[in-house]
Amino acid sequence: MSRGLVAALAVAGAFVFAWSGLSAQRGAPPGPPLTPRQAAPIDLTGTWVSVVTEDWRWRMVTPPKGDVASIPVNGEGRKAAQAWNAEADNAAGNQCKAFGVGGIMRQPGRLRISWQDPATLKLEFDAGTQTRLLTFDRAVQPGAEKTWQGFSRAEWEGPGIGRGPEAPPGPGAGPAGPPVPGGGGQGLRGGPPPRGRAALQRGGSLKVVTTNFREGYLRKNGVPYSEQAIITEYIHRLPAHPNGDEWLNVVTVVEDPRYLAQPFYTSTNFRREADATRFAPSPCKTDPPLPVATGRGGRAGGAGK
Amino acid sequence: MVRLRTSACAALAGACLLLAAIPAAAQVNFSGEWSGRYHEDQPDRVPGEEPGDFSGIPVNDAARLFGDSYDVGRHSVLEEQCAPYTLPYMFFGPNQFRIWQDVHPDTQELIAIQMYMGTYQQRRTIWMDGRPHPPEYAPHTFMGFSTGEWNGDTLTITTTHIKQGYFRRSGVPASDRTTVVEHWMKHGNLLSQVTIATDPVYLTEPYIRSQEFVQMERGNTNWLYNCEYAMEVPRDKNTVPHYLPGRNPWSGEFEGRHAMPREGVRGGAESLLPEWKPGAAAARPNPAKNGGFSPTVQPAPVPAGDVRAVKVQGNVYMIVGAGANIAAQVGDDGIVVVDTGAAGQSEKVIAAIKGLAPGKEIRWIINTGPTADHVGNNEQVSKAGRTVNGNQAAVVAHENANERMIQRGVADAARPYNTYFEPSRDFPFNGEPVVLYHDESSVHDAGTVVFFRRSDVIATGDLFRTDSFPVIDVAMGGSIDGTIAAVNRLLDLTVPSKMLQEGGTYVIPGHGRISDEHEVVWYRDMLVIIRDRVKDMVARKMTLDQVKAARPALDYEGRYGSDTGAWTTAMFVEAIYKDLTR
Repeated sequence: MSRGLVAALAVAGAFVFAWSGLSAQRGAPPGPPLTPRQAAPIDLTGTWVSVVTEDWRWRMVTPPKGDVASIPVNGEGRKAAQAWNAEADNAAGNQCKAFGVGGIMRQPGRLRISWQDPATLKLEFDAGTQTRLLTFDRAVQPGAEKTWQGFSRAEWEGPGIGRGPEAPPGPGAGPAGPPVPGGGGQGLRGGPPPRGRAALQRGGSLKVVTTNFREGYLRKNGVPYSEQAIITEYIHRLPAHPNGDEWLNVVTVVEDPRYLAQPFYTSTNFRREADATRFAPSPCKTDPPLPVATGRGGRAGGAGK
Repeated sequence: MVRLRTSACAALAGACLLLAAIPAAAQVNFSGEWSGRYHEDQPDRVPGEEPGDFSGIPVNDAARLFGDSYDVGRHSVLEEQCAPYTLPYMFFGPNQFRIWQDVHPDTQELIAIQMYMGTYQQRRTIWMDGRPHPPEYAPHTFMGFSTGEWNGDTLTITTTHIKQGYFRRSGVPASDRTTVVEHWMKHGNLLSQVTIATDPVYLTEPYIRSQEFVQMERGNTNWLYNCEYAMEVPRDKNTVPHYLPGRNPWSGEFEGRHAMPREGVRGGAESLLPEWKPGAAAARPNPAKNGGFSPTVQPAPVPAGDVRAVKVQGNVYMIVGAGANIAAQVGDDGIVVVDTGAAGQSEKVIAAIKGLAPGKEIRWIINTGPTADHVGNNEQVSKAGRTVNGNQAAVVAHENANERMIQRGVADAARPYNTYFEPSRDFPFNGEPVVLYHDESSVHDAGTVVFFRRSDVIATGDLFRTDSFPVIDVAMGGSIDGTIAAVNRLLDLTVPSKMLQEGGTYVIPGHGRISDEHEVVWYRDMLVIIRDRVKDMVARKMTLDQVKAARPALDYEGRYGSDTGAWTTAMFVEAIYKDLTR
């Protein structure tokens, strides 16, 4: 390669680097790097209530032992689920096994999110009185002791990092800002800017990877996850619904080489509440399953109509 | 030096290309083939739900009655065997889909995101070009009409114009007034989809669900959905499988089998929150009309006083905004008009008709019935037209319609003077057969259904409407059984465009939106079910007041009923009762 070509590539490379740097800084005031709290592309703080529209029969009541429907357990997982003994758990001080990181999102309850410090997001659950800390600080390492909620490392994703958690406009709001004729100088070679360009530059999500937790239950009735599992979550704050509702959506992927035959995907939805007055911490407690009726007829309501 | 300049230029050009390739505001590309993960509600979503399960859904009492009455045998009815899931359910059942993008070839702007779903071979377009949703009178489809917009990396989609269907395929209904807002998010090979359905007929609050799809690396060849209907259970056309209220033999089985409290299995918004506990009071009754909840996303109605024409298919148009719907068939022979709307808007009606075929004359006017909202502009439209003999346009109707108009005191100039007496009449016009059918008794005894055979469009008059229960005028010869028989004959004429129950023959109702066979089937089913309930109550010696109090039409009131106006739910029930007891 000639020296000329190298020089030209260097110039070009510097140009690209400068553009990228400019791009990264666009909209940010000069000064020290933004903290994770300042860089948050979405505002997750507030009190959120779980609205149980899915897996109702496994979340709102304790299902019968051995009911592993929907969960891709392997043979060992199925065997462990069959061996579930709530009384033994309670006697051993393990009554919070269904409230650990692998199951807590599925517990009906309220979730209160706040910043513990500029680099740590705190998630408090009234179900089981559990707290999760999500750290953005790469220097923080997990402790020696495994806990129900484990060690969670968080990072923002999306185009709105550093732009502030401006609430997205929601459906029906139309493109943000008036159309600007000509996009020259913005990488568009003179063409029109993309429709709703401002909306494209907002928002994002939170990715959380959790390890270092104690074995627990994916479901109230003892369907297990092991300490070898890795739990990845994507937390979204959805654009406001036309009726004004604000929703938080948490996608959870559990990969457990011990008890699961494949990754286990769930997603859980929370609706924002105006305040925390209904946040009511309660101890870890799992009700026993209701008895299975034989033959026709409902148990609690008689034989139907 | 020359080499240096060449190399430098090449490198700079490369850098410029690189810069050009960096999107100023990159949007997520969902293209690819995706397969569902059914790790929530798997027994419901893959094998299929069990009857009587409303858990997790903010249903109202109308939905509960619909679900309790639902007999899975309904899927053995010929016209329902191949009916696809509608959008509110499509992503919950077994499904795989392919996504690709349509971009403008010159500007490279994203015009639409396209989807093809293996289940029922459904095709869906999500418009990204900012176009509005269609007006309320436009046809509905199984996938509806969708528009999308970006909110950062989230694609938000709003869908309207969805056909009637189910939130659960065990019979939890989703009305055709359902709108769905979706949010799509992508993380690597994982696509997360949140759907929030709003249904003012069957839900008391928005119904949120979310599911995950994983990108298929190798794809799948199983993309076709073969469905051919066959007579699985021989039955009379007047029979629609359903259970009478309180007599579903399977009620209660679901909760017993799965150790669930009945008060939770009945669903309802109150059962979705953490405060709900087993043993709580049974789900509170809530009104069929959804309390104070109203949807926020609905297609705009036609503004008052605005008369519009819209092409239906072939040579046939529908004109809306002038009382009853008006149909017009146009061509070289001129224009044939079906009904003329309510009095008072004749100028707009005539302008809309003539605007369809400038320079062409209105030759014929056909009246589907004698009521004022259908014949109000007969005289003016007739005078605005001209037959080939130079007379004003001829008004055609069944003789009974003429008689009923005379009884109503309609002026001679506004009445049909070309009547027919036989069960059907046909004539060619604009190169296609036009067939008129008369039923001795449907909503009255004076009706005509007009079939444009080549255009494959039927104008039904008030035999079929999408805005209210049928106005069965017993005093004018109407009957519930006659109406059902006439709707069944309508079903004999309609043919979907493919085996999957969409398009094909289009139906212009007396009032309401353009429909196809699917809407007519649901309408027929509704009439049969309500008729059977009232008939059963009559057999049990219930008085009219008792029948009304029992609300035999409860599960359809939110869609077709009214407490006020010229035709209330009580009047509809009374008409059936009087017909069945005379």
